[in-house]
Amino acid sequence: MTTNAATGPAKNREKSLSPWAIARRKFMKNKLAMISTAFLFIVIILSLLAPTLAPHLSPIPDVAKVNISKMNIAPNGDHLLGTDKSGRDVLTRLLYGGRISLLVGASATALVIFIGTLVGSIAGFFGGAVDSMLMRFTDFVLNFPFLVFVIVLNTILFGIVDGLWVLIGVIGFLSWGGVARIVRSKVLAEKENEYVLAAISIGCSPAKVIVKHLLPNVMSTIIVQATLLFASLIIAESGLSYLGFGVPQEIPSWGNMLAYANEPDVLQGKPWMWMPPALAITLTILSINFIGEGLKDALNPKSLR
Amino acid sequence: MVKYVLRRLLGMIPMLFLVSVVVFFLAKAMPGDSLRGEIDPTNTNPEYIAEMQEKLGYNDPVYVQYWNWVTSFVQGDFGKSTRYKMPVSDLLLEKIPNTVFLALTALIITYILAFAMGMYSGRKPYTIGDNLIAGFNYTGLAIPSFVAGVFAVYFFAFKLHWFPFAGSVDIEVQNGTIDYWMSRIHHVMLPAFILGLFSTASYTQFLRNDLIENSRKDFVRTARAKGTPIGKIYNVHILRNSIIPLVTFLGFDIASLMSGAVITEKIFSYPGIGLLFLDSVNNRDYPTVMAITMMLSALVLVGNLIADILYGVVDPRIRLG
Amino acid sequence: MKRKSMLWLFAMILVLSAFLAACGGDKASDDKSGDSKGDGKATETEDSGPQQGGTLTYALDAVPEGLFSFAFYGIATDAEIIDFFDEGLIKYDENLEPIPNYAEWETEDNQHFTFKFKEGVKWHNGEELTVNDWVFALETLASPDYDGPRYANVETVEGAPEFREGKADSISGLKVIDDYTIEVTFDAPRLNNLTNLWTYPMPAKEFEGIEVKDMSGSDAVRKNPVGVGPFKVEKIVPGESVELVKNEDYWNGDVNLDKIIVRIIDNSATVGALQNGEVDMVAIQPVSGPEVEKLDNVEIVTAPGLSYYYVGFKLGKFDNKQQKIVEENPKYQDVKLRQAMAHAINRQEWIDAFFFGYGKPINKPVPSAHWISADDSEVTGYDYDPEKAKKLLDEAGYKDVDGDGFREDPKGEKFSVKFSHYATGNPTFESRATALTQYWEEVGLKSELEMVEVNLYYDMIEKDDPSIETFFGGWSTGADPDPTPTWASDQIWNYPRYNNPEADELLKKALSVEEIGDDKDKRKQVYAEWQKIVTDDVPMIFIAELDELYAVSDKVGGFTVDVAGTNNPSEWYKKEGK
Repeated sequence: MTTNAATGPAKNREKSLSPWAIARRKFMKNKLAMISTAFLFIVIILSLLAPTLAPHLSPIPDVAKVNISKMNIAPNGDHLLGTDKSGRDVLTRLLYGGRISLLVGASATALVIFIGTLVGSIAGFFGGAVDSMLMRFTDFVLNFPFLVFVIVLNTILFGIVDGLWVLIGVIGFLSWGGVARIVRSKVLAEKENEYVLAAISIGCSPAKVIVKHLLPNVMSTIIVQATLLFASLIIAESGLSYLGFGVPQEIPSWGNMLAYANEPDVLQGKPWMWMPPALAITLTILSINFIGEGLKDALNPKSLR
Repeated sequence: MVKYVLRRLLGMIPMLFLVSVVVFFLAKAMPGDSLRGEIDPTNTNPEYIAEMQEKLGYNDPVYVQYWNWVTSFVQGDFGKSTRYKMPVSDLLLEKIPNTVFLALTALIITYILAFAMGMYSGRKPYTIGDNLIAGFNYTGLAIPSFVAGVFAVYFFAFKLHWFPFAGSVDIEVQNGTIDYWMSRIHHVMLPAFILGLFSTASYTQFLRNDLIENSRKDFVRTARAKGTPIGKIYNVHILRNSIIPLVTFLGFDIASLMSGAVITEKIFSYPGIGLLFLDSVNNRDYPTVMAITMMLSALVLVGNLIADILYGVVDPRIRLG
Repeated sequence: MKRKSMLWLFAMILVLSAFLAACGGDKASDDKSGDSKGDGKATETEDSGPQQGGTLTYALDAVPEGLFSFAFYGIATDAEIIDFFDEGLIKYDENLEPIPNYAEWETEDNQHFTFKFKEGVKWHNGEELTVNDWVFALETLASPDYDGPRYANVETVEGAPEFREGKADSISGLKVIDDYTIEVTFDAPRLNNLTNLWTYPMPAKEFEGIEVKDMSGSDAVRKNPVGVGPFKVEKIVPGESVELVKNEDYWNGDVNLDKIIVRIIDNSATVGALQNGEVDMVAIQPVSGPEVEKLDNVEIVTAPGLSYYYVGFKLGKFDNKQQKIVEENPKYQDVKLRQAMAHAINRQEWIDAFFFGYGKPINKPVPSAHWISADDSEVTGYDYDPEKAKKLLDEAGYKDVDGDGFREDPKGEKFSVKFSHYATGNPTFESRATALTQYWEEVGLKSELEMVEVNLYYDMIEKDDPSIETFFGGWSTGADPDPTPTWASDQIWNYPRYNNPEADELLKKALSVEEIGDDKDKRKQVYAEWQKIVTDDVPMIFIAELDELYAVSDKVGGFTVDVAGTNNPSEWYKKEGK
C-alpha cells in the first residue's frame, strides 16, 4: 500500500480541496472500505510482529522445529489453533505465514507495477513503432496461460535461485501485461493535454515529462490497479503453493499451510490445520478487494458520493 | 466480417510461432535428465549414452531440434510421452473429454445460476434476496478457487455427503448405461460449480446492473405504457439486450475454464488435462508438458479471437478499428 | 559393462519411481520385481473354506503407465496388475529362494542350466507355452531396439552381447532341445546366475509382426496383454480400471474368483472406498494406516518389506568412465563423526511419528527378511544414545570452542552438517527431514536441511553433485542376494562412494563358485562378515525398514502375504453372505 489516503487524519477543511483530499474524504465515508482497511492493517501488524507475538500466544513459538511429541493436537488452551502434522503450532505458523504471503504479494505487485508502468508509459508517450512493438510484446505475454507458465518457469528456476525470489520474479514477469495496457491508454489520452505539449516544447527530456507530468496523472489508476493486483497476486502465491509449485515447503506461507488439505485425513478430520490459513487468505483478499473498490470510487471524480 | 476474421486468424500465426519457440526453450531448460525415459536407465555405460544421444538427436543444433519438433507438432505428432510410453496425442485424447465435460458443465451451471440470480436481483434490487446474492457475489469474486474448492469438499462431500469428493465416475457402473452418466454428472457437479464460481459471480453482478440500468430506459417505459405485462418486458425486452454483452464473454470463458481446470481437477482428483499437466511436470514428461502448454496457449488465443469476433458481431464499429 | 544383479537394480528403480509416483503420500516401495506368489505361509485364521465365484475389487492408488508386460513395465503399479494375469518360470519361497513354478531346472556347475517346462500350460489366447516363447522374450530383451530396462537380465547369457551388437542372429547360449526343454549357458559360473536371469516368457504369437522398437507401444502390451496367470485381461480403461476374468484353463488348479476389477482410485478416496465396501483390497502406505485401522470391516495385513531408508554420507567421487571412485571427500571421513551422527538419531521415535509404527529400525545394509541378512548381534548397531554421540564427537575433536552452542570441527572452524532430502508436494517430507537434523543439533552439530526437487535429487546424487553432502534415500532389494550393484566400489549406484577393498573382496568371495560352491550357510557367513564391516564403517546410517501393508476387507478370504509377495490370486475368494 503506497499511498495512505485512508489512514491519515482528516485535515482541517480548506475551502478548495485538492483532488487527493476529496478522494480521502470519500474513502473515509465508505464504511466497508474503512473496516477492510482496519482489518488489513491488523493482519499486517500481526504478521510483522510475529516474532514478538508468537511467544505470548503459543508454547512453541518456533516455526521450523519439528516436535515429535506434539503432533496433530486439536485446538486447546495451550495451542489456540492446535498443532500440525509436524508438531508445529498452527497459530505461530499462521502469523509467520502471513509475513511470507504478504511479502510475496507486495513484492510481486511492486514488480508488476514497475514493469507495467515502464512499458505502458514508454509505449504511450512515444507512440508509433515503439508503441506497436511494445504492445505486440505485451499481447504476447498476456497470451500465456498464466498458471501453466508460472509452473513451468518455476520448475526450471527452482534450485538455481533462492525459491522465494524465483516465485516473486516469475509471477511479476508474467503479470504486467494488463497494467501496461491501462497505463498506455491513460498516457495516450493525457499526453494530448496542453501542459504536456508545453513541457515537451520547452525541451524537457522524455523521461522527465513522463515522470514529472504524466505519471502523477495516471497515479490514481495505478493505485487502484495495484490494490487489485495485490489481492490477485496473494491468490497466485497461495494457489501455487497449494499445488506444490510455489514457496519452498520449508518456508511457512498461507498457501503451504493450506497444502496440508491435500491429504484426505487432514481435510476430513483435522480442519484446524487448514481452516485458519484458508480463512486468512479469504478474508485478506476480501478486504483488499473492498479497499480497491473504495479507492476506485474515491478516486473517480464522477462517482456520486 | 469475413475479412476481419481472416485478418485476426493470420495475426495468430506469428503469436503461435513465438509461443512455440518459448515453449520449446522452456522445455529444453527444464531440469532433470531429458534423456530419461528414452533410454535404458540401468545402462550407465558412457558410450551407450553418447550413442543414444546421437541417435535421438540431442547433439543436433538447437534450431534443427526446434524445427524437427515444430514440424511434427504441426502434423499432429506431439511425440511420445516419456512416462506413459505412448503417443502424447493419444494421452491427450483420453483426458480431453473429461476436461471438456467438466468445462461444459461449469459453463451450463454458470449460465443457469447467473441468469436466475441476476434476473432476481435485477428485478428486485435492494431487497434481502438481492443483498444475499450480492454477498454471494462478493465472496465468489474474492475467494480463490482452491480455497472454495477445499471448503466445498469439506462441507458438501465430507460433512453432508451430497457429492463424492474425488474421481470422475463411480467404481461399479457399466460404461454407457444411464447409471454411468448419472454417476458422471454426480461427480462433475461440485468441481464444475467451483470452476464456474468466479464467472457465476461476475455474470450475476453484470446482469443485475445491466437489468437495473435497462429498466430505466425509454423502450421499457414505452412497453409499459402500452400495457405489456411486466414479466414479459423483463423476459423479452430487457433480457435480450442484456444477454448480448454476456455472450461475448464466452471466448474468454473457454480459455479461463481450461486453465482453471488445473486447480479444480487437482482439488477434486478429477482425471483431466489439468491433472495430467501437473503430473507430467512432476514427472518431467517433457513431450506431454510441451503439448499441453501449447494447447492451452492456443486455446487462449482462440478464445480471445472468438471473443473479438463475437464482439464484432454485436458491435460493428469494432470491425472497422 | 560390468555384470550386474538386476534384481537389486530394478528394485531400486522401482523405489525411485515409487517416490515419484507417491507425491500425495509416501510409499516406501512395492517391490514386485522378483516376486511371484509364494505358497502362503503367514496364513490367516481359517474360515469355512474357499468358495467359488464373486468379484473382487482391487484398488491402485497410482495411475499405471499402461505397460502391461513384465518385459516392458517401468513402475510397480503396472506390475501389480501384471501379477494377476502372468507368471514366470520360477517363483520364490518365503526365504526368497527360487523354486519351480511351471519349469524345473538342473545345473551342475552354475554355468550350464537345463530347464524343463511343464506341458499343457496355455497362454490366454489358447496357444501352448513352449520354450520358444521364452527364447523370444530373451531375444527381445537383448535386441538393440529394446527400450525397456531389462537387458542386464540377459547380458550374462553366453552370446547375448554379440546378439545385441548385431554380430549374431541368435543368442548362442540358448539351445532349444525340444518344445519343453532348453539349455541355457552363461558366460561364467556364478551363484546368482539363476536369480539374475530373465524368467518371464512372452507370447510370441501375439507379438508376431511387431518390431521390437514398437512393442512397448503395441496393443499386445497396452490393450490386449496375454499371460498364463489365473486371470485374463478382459477390458482396460486407461487411467481408470482394468477388468480381469477367471482363466478357466489355468494350469495351476482352480481359480476361485470369477472376476477381479482393478480400479485406480486416488489416495484420498481409499479409506472411504474401503469403508463402504467399494474396494475389497488395496496395498496401502503407512501414512494411511491409522485411518484404515479405525474401520471395522477391514483388516490390515502386513508382511516384512524388502526396502529401507537410510542417511548416506558422500565419501567420495565416482568417475563413470573409469568405473571407479577417484576422489575422497574430506568432510565426513572421520568414522567417529559418522558413528556419533548415527547414535544421535532416535529411530524408533522417528518411525513411530512418521510411519505410525509400520516399520522398525534397521541395523544393517540388508533387510532383515532376506536370508542373507545378518543377525543384529553379528553387526555393529547404533542405538539411540546421545551421550555416547557427544562422547564420540569430543574424542574426534568436534568441540564447541566459540561458545555458540554448536561444535566446531577439529581445526576449530565452524562445522555444519548439510543434509539433503527430496521434495515433492508432500509436506511431511520436510518435517521428517527436519526432525532428523534436529537430532544432530541436540548433540551439538549444527545442521542445515536442503529440500531438493525430486527429479533432480537422484540425478545429483548419482553425479556426485558437490551440494550433496549427506542425503536421505531409500531402496529395496529383490530376491537376488548379491549387494554388489549398490555397494561395490566400481558401481555407480554405490551412492555413498563407499570404498573399502576388504568389503569388495567379501562381495566377490560370496559369489565365487570355487570358494563357496553351493554352500548356503557359508555364503551367508561371508555376507554377515561383509555386513559387519559395513556397519563398522557407517557409510550410511541405516534408518528404517518398512512393512508392506495390505488393507483387506473381511469379505475376502484366502489372502496371505509374505516377503516374496502375495499368494497366488487364484486362491483368493469372496466369503458368502457378506
